[in-house]
Amino acid sequence: MARKHIASIKVETEENEINLTPMLDVVFIMLIFFIVTATFIRETSIEANRPDQQESVPVVQEDGAILIIIDNNDDIWMNGLIIDDRAVRPNIQRLHAENPDRPVVIQAEPNSSAETLVTVMDASRQADVYNISITAGG
Amino acid sequence: MEDEREESEINLTPMLDVVFIMLIFFIVTAVFVREPGVDVDRPVAQTATDPGGGSIFIAITANDEIWIDRREIDIPGAKSQIERLSSENPEAGIIIQADSESRNEVLIAVMDAAKEAGVADITIAAGE
Repeated sequence: MARKHIASIKVETEENEINLTPMLDVVFIMLIFFIVTATFIRETSIEANRPDQQESVPVVQEDGAILIIIDNNDDIWMNGLIIDDRAVRPNIQRLHAENPDRPVVIQAEPNSSAETLVTVMDASRQADVYNISITAGG
Repeated sequence: MEDEREESEINLTPMLDVVFIMLIFFIVTAVFVREPGVDVDRPVAQTATDPGGGSIFIAITANDEIWIDRREIDIPGAKSQIERLSSENPEAGIIIQADSESRNEVLIAVMDAAKEAGVADITIAAGE
């Protein structure tokens, strides 16, 4: 009688050992799912500031800013002259050398294209001016 | 003989620990990026950089349509959409994927909507 009792206890403890295999299966499937769905989207981009409405007028009028205007025909204006898109960088470089603290303000007219805007922003960044603000033209 | 067989049973516990830690890592880092759902012809810029981190993507097509989260929306609706996505992922910046042919009026309107929605980190997508 006593022997039988001991034997039954032994069987019970062996039964108590949890079989981990099904849980492992589930965990592995979850792991694979999360690895696969982890989409690492890489998108390169350019930082752009949009000044507050209240600020935008003083910023443009401020003497310190390098103002570049893109008109509705995608022409680039600096200091009252239409300039070629390849001439933007040397112009900004020259003004930046005179006063390194000047930010660039781009005034984009409503019908100008994003391509011209990004070209000017790129030129400004190549000229080491990373403080670029965009304002809407009239 | 029996002893040897018991020895050869592999102890799964350390592997389970590792697998669980990997699982938790991938769950935590799983940023479910919502793509805008349209292809745009991005402008080229040599100084474009990878902003890193999770991002909210907004696409502007050549026809000046605004796409967020696989849906076309109008300018007045952009702010609430950005607010919704931003509340889901408060640290995300905004990447505006503007087509080369898109008009800057729409681009600036989207930037204003993003600013009004409280997202300060706005970048414009550009290919290298």
